[in-house]
Amino acid sequence: MKRIEAIKDIMKDVKDEIVIASTGMIARELYAVCDRPRNFYMMGSMGNALGIGLGLALNLKDDVIVLSGDGAALMSLGTLVLHKKLNPKNLKHYILDNNCHGTTGGQPTCSEEVDFQSLAPNTRVIKVDPEKGDAPRIPLSPEDISKRFKDAVSPDRA
Amino acid sequence: MKEHDEHDFVVGVPCSKLKDIIDKIDLYIPCTREDEAVALAVGAYFAGKKPLVFLQNSGLGNTVDIITSLLKPYGIEIDLIISVRDTPAHHAFMGKITEKLLDLLEYKNYRLIKQ
Repeated sequence: MKRIEAIKDIMKDVKDEIVIASTGMIARELYAVCDRPRNFYMMGSMGNALGIGLGLALNLKDDVIVLSGDGAALMSLGTLVLHKKLNPKNLKHYILDNNCHGTTGGQPTCSEEVDFQSLAPNTRVIKVDPEKGDAPRIPLSPEDISKRFKDAVSPDRA
Repeated sequence: MKEHDEHDFVVGVPCSKLKDIIDKIDLYIPCTREDEAVALAVGAYFAGKKPLVFLQNSGLGNTVDIITSLLKPYGIEIDLIISVRDTPAHHAFMGKITEKLLDLLEYKNYRLIKQ
């Protein structure tokens, strides 16, 4: 399965959920599939999408979905374990595992050596094709993403 | 930065210099790394909370990427309480550059605990 098809599958059932997309092609493909104010597109700080999702899920009643890649998950294996420990019921974490760093040209990761699911049973791993992807850059500034997202997830929103 | 008691979401990575403060905070969540702690704080910020992150200066280096590529471009301010160690030898260099590093990062929202 292509990664963008996996993102389409996840998003087809999404209504009011907050969605956090990891750095690079995952954020770009989420934007291409379904842009909405309750999506947060992380452009830098690779490995930190799940941490942001945890901070949201622990503080809101809303359901939160985090889309990570295998490279980002490998960078922050500790966060998978923290997620297992804290395990807020309103947080779903997907790892879209293509066994490579797609955004930077397809260099291999070592994701074949780790069983993410046994490390954190509350993580769902979806194996996707080892492709780079070709979604264009997101035409929003980080400041605009931040402001739009904060307004859209604020507990005080109208 | 805000006074401690105004914060309603507290995370961090411990330091013996911070033990007495952290031990009194019921809502403190221990994290595995300092950048992860900042990421949880960012989620809490978006959820309308006032987060606080505890760390020691040795871990400040782990936060450079999330400060430069998330907090700065996205316009997010997170309060940090940083214990400053400059001895023994493995703490000496970071102890010497901690305030310069924060200046270089143009980071204002912090308090240093030197004791």
